[in-house]
Amino acid sequence: MKVFKNISSMLLLFVVVLFSCQESENPTINEMGEMIVKFDNYVGNQTMILDELGSTNYRYTTAKGQEFNITRFGYYISHVKLSGPNGEVFVDEMNATADASQIKGYYRVVQGEPDTYNIHLKDVPAGQYNKITFTLGVREDGIQEGAVGGILDRAAGGWFWNWNSGFIHYLFEGHSPSSPVVQGDITNRVRLHIGGWKNIPSENEDPQRFFDNNVEISLDFDATVRVSESLRPSPHIHMDLLKVIGDADFEMENNIHSPAAGKPFAQRLAGAFIVDHTHQ
Amino acid sequence: MISFYKTRVRLFGPVLLLIMIVINGCEPVAEHPKVDVYKFEKPAHFPEPTYTFRNNQVNEKGFKLGRRLFNDPSLSRDGSISCSSCHVQSHAFADIMLHPFSFGVEDREGKRNAPPLFNLAFQKEFFWDGGVTHLDFAPILAFESEIEMDLSFEEVVARISRSADYPALFKDAFGIEEVTGPYVLHALSQFMLMMLSADSKYDRYVQGDQQALNSLELKGLELFRQHCESCHQEPLFTDLSYRNNGVQRNITDLGRETVTEVPQDRAKFKVPSLRNIEVTSPYMHNARFETLKQVLDHYTEGVAEQVSIDPKVFASGKPVISLNAEEKEQIIAFLKTLTDPGFLTNPIFFNSND
Repeated sequence: MKVFKNISSMLLLFVVVLFSCQESENPTINEMGEMIVKFDNYVGNQTMILDELGSTNYRYTTAKGQEFNITRFGYYISHVKLSGPNGEVFVDEMNATADASQIKGYYRVVQGEPDTYNIHLKDVPAGQYNKITFTLGVREDGIQEGAVGGILDRAAGGWFWNWNSGFIHYLFEGHSPSSPVVQGDITNRVRLHIGGWKNIPSENEDPQRFFDNNVEISLDFDATVRVSESLRPSPHIHMDLLKVIGDADFEMENNIHSPAAGKPFAQRLAGAFIVDHTHQ
Repeated sequence: MISFYKTRVRLFGPVLLLIMIVINGCEPVAEHPKVDVYKFEKPAHFPEPTYTFRNNQVNEKGFKLGRRLFNDPSLSRDGSISCSSCHVQSHAFADIMLHPFSFGVEDREGKRNAPPLFNLAFQKEFFWDGGVTHLDFAPILAFESEIEMDLSFEEVVARISRSADYPALFKDAFGIEEVTGPYVLHALSQFMLMMLSADSKYDRYVQGDQQALNSLELKGLELFRQHCESCHQEPLFTDLSYRNNGVQRNITDLGRETVTEVPQDRAKFKVPSLRNIEVTSPYMHNARFETLKQVLDHYTEGVAEQVSIDPKVFASGKPVISLNAEEKEQIIAFLKTLTDPGFLTNPIFFNSND
């Protein structure tokens, strides 16, 4: 009987220990912080300024020497991930749903709307980080769930193709005297809409159909930063439109609206982003 | 021994009664159990649906709201047409004979025959060229197309938000204070998802009713399986692929190529389901044929060499399918067993605001 009592009290102790371990996990592991990722858009070394539709004020020049301006510009960012030198990992939660308040992990940087330049990452585990990875665009998981809300809702200005379902990952519209495109009374139009989210690979004599023009971009920070309850670091990412335009000729390539046509531009996207500096 | 036997017999009655009470007690109390006609139920002999029901479950309020949107001409630019203008229930939600091509605002003529709408929960892609990859997105194209309703989806939702009745109906169906795009699309999908056609004579036959088809129709089924089945696969009567069956004499509509951007897909169109084919004349994306006899004649004599022509209909310099006049009649008799009168007259689809 005494033995039994001992055993049961030891069992009790064991259970108590077990549960107390669960309750009082190492506090530093649970500590969460935030990070603000800032996007600054450039055209070469000039800051990006929008002009009115129809403007003939050509502020910028391509590598080919063609003048142009910008009337509309932006891009979607999703699947953000942070990682650190000691194995820290933060994966931003993703959710595509009809309820705009429940959309998670999708961001859109729209030139002229400063609120959209900052991506506010919350619930980032405390620790050190020196690398960010994100998808430039909206992947299949943001499309094949069906109708979605918020920045993905076409009725609310979401950049969605109606004829070939999918989002415009990266959008640039403007004018160039080199472009002969006339639409109504708007002349010299240039429009670059990069979209496409699936690959149907070539098989035997069949060529590839569709192109997944989502681009995964990985950028090292210039310095390791620390996230904690009191430390909210902010990496500043620079995006250079000239790198995306590359050697494109606005005389010919001025009206890009399909996955295949967007492919050469999509291939230059990754090289257009760098982390310029980081604020601790 | 005798008394023991009697005891068993005497016990048998009450025990049986008890068992029956227990069994009956498990069944619904109501004498006429209410069937929820607004619930999506997969026909037993159909494959698993592809639609994302996890995000949009069909229910009575959402369905009725979708029905109202489907029939509402105020969602076209000039208020002249609704979805139901080109998708007519008695024609399996295809267009009527008077409109070989879909028509839009200001009597603008489209370039393709409005396809019938049913069994959409099992499709992977929509429209003749399959550019739309989810049922929810299909109405956006119809609203915005210049040759259809010619109204931006943004304006569609704005008109709905401004209307006197819709906001309360959306709140009731989805619990939302403000009407947004995805809920408009979800309501329309709920209405369209219920367009199930799976109760034709053919369906009854494959589900065990040997009397459902007569001998002529059975012969037709046999010939169908021999000559047509490889593309028009049962039970949906389409393999969901894109093919050029040579229906354009001169290729003016690039079809699937517009979407895939490869010339190998020139003039290919989605293989249409043959369910309710009796009521969906004219046939083909370009409405070239008015009768099923003309369609079969095309396959046996009309198909000619053409870029991207499907090898299942044309090979070695001649049409692949060979049928005599009697066989054609038998196949046509079978095709008419794919008509689903219950679907074509189901009152849940009638335009009413009850």
